[in-house]
Amino acid sequence: MLKVENIKKQYGSFQLDCSLTIPKGRITGFIGPNGAGKTTVMKSILGLIFPESGNVSIKGRDIRKMTAKERQMFGVVLSDSKFCGYFTILDICKIMKQMYPHFQKGTFLGQCERFHLNVKEEIRKFSTGQKALLHVLLAISHEAELLVLDEPTVGLDVVVRDEILDLLRSYMEDSRSILITSHIAGDLETLCDDLYMIQNGRIVFYEEMDVLLDHYGICKVTEEQWRDFDKEFIIKTKKEAFGYLCLTKNRQYYLKNYGSVVVEKASVDDILLLMMRGV
Amino acid sequence: MKIIINNSSFQPIYEQIVIQIKDMIMKGELCENALLPSVRALAKEIKVSALTVKKAYDALEAQGFIVTVHGKGSFVTSANQELMLEEQRKEVERLLEQAVRKAKSCGMNRQELSDLYQLVLEDLTEC
Repeated sequence: MLKVENIKKQYGSFQLDCSLTIPKGRITGFIGPNGAGKTTVMKSILGLIFPESGNVSIKGRDIRKMTAKERQMFGVVLSDSKFCGYFTILDICKIMKQMYPHFQKGTFLGQCERFHLNVKEEIRKFSTGQKALLHVLLAISHEAELLVLDEPTVGLDVVVRDEILDLLRSYMEDSRSILITSHIAGDLETLCDDLYMIQNGRIVFYEEMDVLLDHYGICKVTEEQWRDFDKEFIIKTKKEAFGYLCLTKNRQYYLKNYGSVVVEKASVDDILLLMMRGV
Repeated sequence: MKIIINNSSFQPIYEQIVIQIKDMIMKGELCENALLPSVRALAKEIKVSALTVKKAYDALEAQGFIVTVHGKGSFVTSANQELMLEEQRKEVERLLEQAVRKAKSCGMNRQELSDLYQLVLEDLTEC
């Protein structure tokens, strides 16, 4: 579906150099600390900014050559893009209808009703959660094939987030794909099929989510245990007061061979933290 | 489908799915030729990645419990009863083996072990 090859972009001292692939039918998570380049990559994918070199292609088409009509296949939530606050949902419907011939007005209004969004009220009066929900509903309202969602759940409580994630799960079909960023790792764990992590403009980690949840682990090793500790499957290590905190991609090995070492499952947060802070 | 994922268990998620579907087949909750939910649908239901469900279905198919017809879905196969019995027999064998090993490691001899086995057997058949 989507192929990003060696795109490079320079902003002052920040250099982006990144490649990633999303097959059809895949929900891909995209994580990284603030300022790592997530939004730059997403904007490059959408053709909103142009990298100095490298390629972005969607279904084999170069993004730079895609017409406005072809770009209707994108469903987008970007953190700094919103509708004018004086519009009502009914006003937005008119705009959407003009912009997207595939706009599913009936379904969209049905969902607004389901989530108690007042279609006749100016959206500036909506709560943060209602606005975020509206943005996601709009992104999935016109049969987009590729959803590019930058922090669609930011600042929302667990109930609204859960509803948004369920909407996205329902939207998925084999011909559709989603690229999503979130600072809430737990959301990605239950939603995504795989995960990219970006740091300082470079992809530093990629794994399928089931491998990550089923095989990755965190070992807590004391100084004494450390001397005889087999480091073969250790990816990153971080010094702690008790000894060493390690990220492994084979927790079973350490569970089996080091009965006295504490081994836990690794969450996406653990991985992010150790990839960032560990050596 | 009534599948419960234990997120704090060390057992891989796909294995948890495999075991529970097998269980349903064994108990007759899933009959011969029953259609399983699509990979996407089950993934949504139990909130795990579609690749995890795919892996579980692939494992079930490799073991002969289901068959996937392209474009139609995954179905429970017919020859399950025997497969199940065989599987359970293997499990019993494994557990017995474990017991024998344990007995050996704490120095029990053949006779003691055999006596103990008889005792347990009688105890359990009584109730």
